[in-house]
Amino acid sequence: MSRKLVYYLLLFSSLTVAQSNINPDISLIGTFDTYTNFIKDSPDYGKLLFDIPSFELYIEGYLNPYARAAANIAFEEGEFSAEEIYAQILRGLPLDIQIKAGKYLLGFGKLNTVHPHAWPFVNRPLWQQIYFSGEGFNDIGLDVNFILPTSDFYSTLDLGVYTGQSMAMNTAGEDADADEVRGNSLIFVGRLGSFFSFDDFNNLEVGLSSSFGNYAKSSFYIPDSVGFPEQMLKYYYGGFDFKYKYRPDSYTSLVLQGGTVLNYRDVIRGTESEPAVETITTYGAFVYIDYQFFKIFTLGAKYDYTFGIIGDDYSATTLSNDDQNKTSGIEVWFNYFPVEETLAFKLSTQYLYFNFADNISKDGETTVTLQMIFSLGPHKAHQF
Amino acid sequence: MKKYIIIFIILICSLQLQSQINVVGTTTTVASLAKIVGGEKVSVDYICRGDQDPHFLEILPSYMMKLRNADIVFKIGMDLEKWLPQLIDGSRNDKLKLIDLSQEISKKEVPTTKTDASQGDVHPYGNPHYWLDPENAKIMAEEIYSAFSSYSSNDDAYFKKNLDEFKKQIDSNMKEWAKKTSSLKQKNIITFHKSWVYFTDRFQLKIVENVEPKPGIPPTPSHDASLIQLIKKDQIKIILMENYYSDSAPNHISEATGISVVKVPINVYGIESVDSYIKLMDYIINQISKNG
Repeated sequence: MSRKLVYYLLLFSSLTVAQSNINPDISLIGTFDTYTNFIKDSPDYGKLLFDIPSFELYIEGYLNPYARAAANIAFEEGEFSAEEIYAQILRGLPLDIQIKAGKYLLGFGKLNTVHPHAWPFVNRPLWQQIYFSGEGFNDIGLDVNFILPTSDFYSTLDLGVYTGQSMAMNTAGEDADADEVRGNSLIFVGRLGSFFSFDDFNNLEVGLSSSFGNYAKSSFYIPDSVGFPEQMLKYYYGGFDFKYKYRPDSYTSLVLQGGTVLNYRDVIRGTESEPAVETITTYGAFVYIDYQFFKIFTLGAKYDYTFGIIGDDYSATTLSNDDQNKTSGIEVWFNYFPVEETLAFKLSTQYLYFNFADNISKDGETTVTLQMIFSLGPHKAHQF
Repeated sequence: MKKYIIIFIILICSLQLQSQINVVGTTTTVASLAKIVGGEKVSVDYICRGDQDPHFLEILPSYMMKLRNADIVFKIGMDLEKWLPQLIDGSRNDKLKLIDLSQEISKKEVPTTKTDASQGDVHPYGNPHYWLDPENAKIMAEEIYSAFSSYSSNDDAYFKKNLDEFKKQIDSNMKEWAKKTSSLKQKNIITFHKSWVYFTDRFQLKIVENVEPKPGIPPTPSHDASLIQLIKKDQIKIILMENYYSDSAPNHISEATGISVVKVPINVYGIESVDSYIKLMDYIINQISKNG
């Protein structure tokens, strides 16, 4: 992985130098977590724990008047990875379309394209952990963005096609062999987003998202000896998202944001000797409120709900294939930003509780996290 | 039938001749100057409200819509509008012309050494708040006139007339403004943020300190305490500040020393009654002379 990473960096930096004598913007976002949990029977119950510090190195800039490129190299849990590397054609194309190509966080919902350090909360929404995996919906492909001819409000349509490696990871974990899990077939992701500005202080964005394709081969779940004819297991995600912000001045703001996903997919059921493909429908949702006051503090709360049990192992009946059991969560936080976004401290408490269909009992889990985030380098203005 | 076709063609041509230049100013002051020079030949909009801090603006798609429909966007420049490139990208307006109004400005406080975040929010190209010097407003208006004249050479005389009228208004008001600020000439004042050097140099006021310990860094109790000592020692009369900052620290200093906190808009429409550049300067100077 490190050799690949060095290759990506060299390739990217040679491209940028070849295109322009002007240096790209380089930023470093570092995150350090200390936390404790109150999980019954956990060996770390009540102990103060420290995560390995992580960082994201952003390199971005204009290639020429028509295109930009960006790379985000992440160091997490002691390993490097290329989280995003892409180029974007911004102008000069017919119908004012923009094209983005490479590896990046996909535009399903509004939150998925926002990097975790920019969230007001610490913990990824539960349904994203189940249906996207822990790293978000991140894949390799290309996307065409259309600006729609609506005169009174801003509306865009994104249509993208991707390799589907994200679905392989969601099915079998980060180290999944995509060929073994799902073969070679594309997935599709789209979002229709509209932004409404009611006045100078109140703004609302809503979006509808969709994704579909094959997430696994049936033979991944069923041993060959059964003789079950191989077929592709399909999935369909539908999503709705919204973000409302009231911002009367730079010292105060109120954000209400949420997102849902409907998961409709083929799953393997039956017995080992008589497996069958069935269709399940599950869903997840989150909503949060975040209140900024005195410019440097925020206070907030999030409610989460999803099918699937957080922390389960990957299998034909768990996580995104689970239509029986549910996880809910509440997270509250208090954040302190002493100087804009250069430094942030987030104190978060999350409580997860579980609902098993077959009366299994699992105690709730409480995690308290103190997160420090620093930002070194030029800061782009914040997207709504 | 031929008659109707000819009338139709004449109508279309006259409509084209009468069509306005669609202009966006990054701030209300820029938009106001564009309207003064362009008059009825331009339709003008702005991005940053008069009571908003132009350093920090959230990227709203509604701003992109404004630029999408624009022919020209004027900016202050000098890295003040860091948010503008993303808005221009989002507008997808290939025909949009971007004009930087700082080109002919004699820039102040240009760093001569390497800048970094330890110095606070330092502007690497110099202090961008140059519009607060009325002489610079004339230069900005001239840049705007040049842009309009290039865009619509038929209306050059009209734009020139508006420009000359504006410059005459500035010149005639300068005498009044200088008279009103004469009592504070060479006197020390404190400002909240490092926005005022062009204004104070023009009207010969002296800034000795800022309430922000470094640019963009919120006031601290220890710095407030040192300001209180300075104010008492030098008998400083006013703290001059923008109306979009919190006056909590200045009011605390005022309680301890009796200094006047002069809170003013620094852009047109920073308060409702300030609907032109002349009124903006009138307001600022009247407030200073009243409290100084």
